[in-house]
Amino acid sequence: MQTFSIPKSLKENMIYTFCPGCDHGVAIRLIAELLDEFGLKENALTAASVGCSVFLYNFLDVDCVEAPHGRALACATGIKRAQPDKFVFTYQGDGDFASIGLAESTHAAARGEAITTICINNTLYGMTGGQLGPTTVLNQITTTSPHGRNREYHGFPLKMTEHIALCDGTAFAARVSLDSPAAIIKAKKAIKKAFEVQLKGLGFGFVEILSSCPTNWKMNPVESHKHIREELTKVYPLGTFKDLTEGL
Amino acid sequence: MEKNIIIAGFGGQGILLTGTILANAFMLENKNVICCPCYGAEMRGGEVNCEVVVDDESEVCANKSEADIVIALNQLSFEKFITKLKKGGTIIANSSLVKMCKPRSDINYVFAMISEKAKELGDIKTTNMVSLGLLAQIEKLSLDTLQNAVKKVFASKSQKLLNLNFEALKIGSNCAYQS
Amino acid sequence: MEKVLLKGNYAIAKAAIKAGCSCYFGYPITPQTEIGEYLSEAMPALGRGYVCAESEVAAINMVMGAVATGVKAMTSSSSCAIGLMQETMSYAASDELPVVLISVMRAGPGLGYIYPAQGDYNQAVTGGGNGDYRTIVLSPSTVQDSIDLTYKAFYLAQKYRNPVILLSDGFLGQMMEPAVLHDYPYDEIDNSSWALTGAKDRGARQIRSLEVNQEKQNAHVYKLFEKYALIEKEEVSYEEENTLDADILLVAFGSMTRNIKAAARKLREKGLKVGTFRPVTLWPFPSKRLLELSETIKNILVVEMNMGQMTKDVKLAVNGNAKVYHFGRPTGKWVNVDEIVQATLNLGGVSYANI
Ligand SMILES: Cc1ncc(C[n+]2csc(CCOP(=O)(O)OP(=O)(O)O)c2C)c(N)n1
Repeated sequence: MQTFSIPKSLKENMIYTFCPGCDHGVAIRLIAELLDEFGLKENALTAASVGCSVFLYNFLDVDCVEAPHGRALACATGIKRAQPDKFVFTYQGDGDFASIGLAESTHAAARGEAITTICINNTLYGMTGGQLGPTTVLNQITTTSPHGRNREYHGFPLKMTEHIALCDGTAFAARVSLDSPAAIIKAKKAIKKAFEVQLKGLGFGFVEILSSCPTNWKMNPVESHKHIREELTKVYPLGTFKDLTEGL
Repeated sequence: MEKNIIIAGFGGQGILLTGTILANAFMLENKNVICCPCYGAEMRGGEVNCEVVVDDESEVCANKSEADIVIALNQLSFEKFITKLKKGGTIIANSSLVKMCKPRSDINYVFAMISEKAKELGDIKTTNMVSLGLLAQIEKLSLDTLQNAVKKVFASKSQKLLNLNFEALKIGSNCAYQS
Repeated sequence: MEKVLLKGNYAIAKAAIKAGCSCYFGYPITPQTEIGEYLSEAMPALGRGYVCAESEVAAINMVMGAVATGVKAMTSSSSCAIGLMQETMSYAASDELPVVLISVMRAGPGLGYIYPAQGDYNQAVTGGGNGDYRTIVLSPSTVQDSIDLTYKAFYLAQKYRNPVILLSDGFLGQMMEPAVLHDYPYDEIDNSSWALTGAKDRGARQIRSLEVNQEKQNAHVYKLFEKYALIEKEEVSYEEENTLDADILLVAFGSMTRNIKAAARKLREKGLKVGTFRPVTLWPFPSKRLLELSETIKNILVVEMNMGQMTKDVKLAVNGNAKVYHFGRPTGKWVNVDEIVQATLNLGGVSYANI
């Protein structure tokens, strides 16, 4: 019989520091479960990013260095080049990955670094209080787009998974969400693949997770998931955009 | 003489607004005043506080370590800020949400059913204004000036909303309390 | 004019608008994000430029581009992220571009946290960029100063074609205080001789710092230093109180000034002859005045929320004439008045027989 238990890769008895209804908790749990399943906890190294995702190291019992904002993949590249046998991953926000760190992110993918990246897309800068970021969708109100993201004034949002999938060094790129139990199961499968491409030495593995931010979206958790399902997936379709394991 | 007033409660109780109105009132009386809201991730857990420091003569200085008066609108802030009070200081507690107890013997207590009073007025959101009225009663602040401060802060709001807040101030200023 | 209760960060943003700032570029970071948030509403409404930049590296380079065309522009940021801008600050100094940078200090080093601190004195004053250059650094201590010195930052940047940093801190940025939002008091500076406006009826202009000829590179830096000498002669600004009969001088910059003034009042009540001194310009530093004061005042206590960054400049200024002590800590509880009083009473070498 299967019983519910805390993954070994999670620290015990930590105070939960995310806002109520935030998806970070589920995402971190999925990573912990997979670290357990692959037996990677003791062999894993991570470069933490700056944003709400920084709290990863409060929960995961994994060695970690904190990179400056946006530089997680440069830092992780350094780790991987120095320790090619380690399992190296990053856990980043969309602002960290796709605005201030877009150069580092793109080049890590283009070089085909054997690194796994999980990117939490909550369509704004969460940690600083909800400003317009690279993934803020058109008409979305943030504290720096008080009348909504405007096509002429602010320009269009950026599609991370499509962009990363275009890089030749990318071995796996998928976009998932966590808005229902079924979605969570799919998300876990995608993250698993992104782990596998690293373990098989195929290249860069990337999973973008559409995640709720009830605090900054000014919605309750249920509305937030509905918003992801009904609005965000129109702009950011879910699915696998590149998978080199196919046919292997 | 410098006086340091801390207003604390949870998000949605209008803590920062209350601090802003109080600071405006002191400004209207030509006093030196600063108002320091908590900010950033400090607010993540939902606790909010705001410090108003006023001085009759000189420029107000930065970050006081001890308070003369604490207005605690919920239990958590009562427990947190009672330790920050100076000897002889006063804590004004919203006994609708704060358990009546007196962990320190060197300070004054003012317990009043502030949220109840706001509810009786018809809008629990006026809890903050009732507490400000109560502060005025205890500290002998001018209700007129507080009303003018409300006007200043609510510049573009409707007369109805203004009247509601004036009423809440008045209720607080006459409200009975236990010490 | 009427006083209004204003938050330090909003005061800077409002003053920038009144100063005629045409463009703002920024990336969020606490405790200065309100500047960008306010301007995201105000700038488009006025038909002015605003970009939510993708990073601070991008933001400061956007400012460089904008000011090269002769308009006023600025960015704002904090501590670790100001670090990202240093390369461009060096370019702007060499290119003689009027870049205005608002720096609202938080705790460091590294990512640190959003608590107020004063640990970026060195970063602002000595600069983190390469080469021999200087930035003008203005240090507000009240919300009113935040307005006045924002105006001055734009003016001095234009007047000297030099980058200017307004060095505020998280405490001042977040607090509200009554202030008067008066009009921009300075004349507009004619920049038609250098601004990039298109090579119409004149040869093309270049604003650059690449110089392959060593002689020319030398000459350029010497010319910059002539300008710096002029700024040191003309623009030093400071504030002092009760220094005439003082035995002890308390020195602070930024919002700590408020606390040394209050401490000095208390110490005077106790019968100690204490004066206060506050550099308003951190560069150019009021070294000359401090040297003069050290003729009669032999004990100086520098109070700052860092490990003694300005203390070093005070020591250099008085050149051994007076004993210079540091009191402070890197962050956490802002050094309060009673602590300063106590630290002053504990100063070595002073006799308190009469107290
Ligand atoms: C160089 C630098 N700039 C700005 C900041 C301030 N900052 C901290 S977190 C953050 C935003 C993070 O947003 P995102 O990556 O989308 O993650 P989220 O918080 O939404 O999960 C910013 C701008 C910083 N720490 N360093």
